[in-house]
Amino acid sequence: MRLPKFEYLKPKTLREAIRTVASDPKGTIALAGGTDLLVHMKYRLIEPKRVVNLKAIPRLAYIVQGKEGMRIGPLTTLHDLAASSPIQESYPALAQAALEVGAYAHQVMGTVAGNLCQANRCRFYNQSAFWRSARPPCYKVGGNICHVVPVRTAGGRKPGECHSAYCGDLAPVLMALDARARLLGQDGERLIPLKKLYTQNGKKPLSLKKGELVKEILVPPPSGKTVYLKWRYRGALEFPIVSLALSMKKGKDGRIIGSKIIFSGIGTGPVEAVEAEKAMKGEPIDEGLIDKMSIQAKKEVSPMKTSIVSAVYKRKMAGILLKQALQQLL
Amino acid sequence: MKHVLKLHVNGEDHEVLTETHKTLLEVLREDLGLTGTKRACDLGTCGACTVLINGKPHLSCLTLAMDAQGKEILTIEGLAHDGKLHPLQKAFAEKGAIQCGFCTPGMILTAKAFLDEYPHPAEGEVKKAISGNLCRCTGYVKIVEAILSVAEEE
Repeated sequence: MRLPKFEYLKPKTLREAIRTVASDPKGTIALAGGTDLLVHMKYRLIEPKRVVNLKAIPRLAYIVQGKEGMRIGPLTTLHDLAASSPIQESYPALAQAALEVGAYAHQVMGTVAGNLCQANRCRFYNQSAFWRSARPPCYKVGGNICHVVPVRTAGGRKPGECHSAYCGDLAPVLMALDARARLLGQDGERLIPLKKLYTQNGKKPLSLKKGELVKEILVPPPSGKTVYLKWRYRGALEFPIVSLALSMKKGKDGRIIGSKIIFSGIGTGPVEAVEAEKAMKGEPIDEGLIDKMSIQAKKEVSPMKTSIVSAVYKRKMAGILLKQALQQLL
Repeated sequence: MKHVLKLHVNGEDHEVLTETHKTLLEVLREDLGLTGTKRACDLGTCGACTVLINGKPHLSCLTLAMDAQGKEILTIEGLAHDGKLHPLQKAFAEKGAIQCGFCTPGMILTAKAFLDEYPHPAEGEVKKAISGNLCRCTGYVKIVEAILSVAEEE
């Protein structure tokens, strides 16, 4: 499959890149690792007039231990992230999540910011132009229907919106670690909790403004333990059917002080099981609580049939993953 | 629009007049005639088009040729030296790790990058390293054996 034609630009600084993207945000796209973007372009899901290659910009790949935690450069490759000893020591779940993305070559090519900004996925969307031509265009490609929920169903599913799923591996772990993203745009910098990068709107999943790019990821010093569990068809390459990042901090008496439960693959953005987090607070962790929380998480999430896996199965696996993760931290 | 592309492939400099939207895979095969790099899924899921850029495995179907300028590109054609096969090529032939041969260039180059980085891997690590390279002749056992035999020799 050939790429569509485009103009290739290679800015020297991040500000120059931002200016270029902002001058025609609809027709311009920023390129990092390319493992997600180029596939979208081959499928004609996006046909940008201009491609801005960020990789020629110096000093965007780094992992630095700062006063407030770890600073990770946006173009740090997943391979370098996983191989970094400070990351392995302080945030083993993050190193592991980077190794769960694609395979060796994808990790060498893929970048941290690229992974965080990867497009939402759907079985009706991630298809060639020919395949898609059999149906009317969906919301995600500018049409007027969501093929996942084309009509109102008994369960009250909303037919009027895009239900594509966010399937990134790094975002749930970084959110569980309370990471923040430093964004740089035409109006200057802003520092936001990583959670705020995701709009939960399938059609426009990222809250980036016109021309805005991820400049840095800040991860606070680790407190408590974090695990990442990814459930997929096979041990490599695949996006998650459902994945879970769980971080938990226990007090001296063994009771849970705080926790984060973040799922990927089952919502229009990374999904936080807020009710389960609340219910766990102050409780001693035992088998009884684990069963209760597993049921709570299962109730709380609302996956859709965005891949060939049924929503019921995803919901069930979300509960099972939380159970397994809690048992690891018992 | 066409551009003059300067690529450093297998130790040689090449200048090609080609379009900016071409992938490295397309330029290697169509403009340079280096058809050892295989085109299969063309979407980054099979690993057949793997080449080494600055010693690390890259999917050439998802790499813009423009972006590969100024970097050391190694394809399967550049692996043998003075008529002598690379130890991995030899091991693949000797251990029967080749059936139809279509996945072999990508498999060998991925294995080379991996062994250069981790010279003494465990079997599980080898399997993980080549997990992005699909072999439809189901020859994985012999491929893993071949890679491990080179690791042991070293």
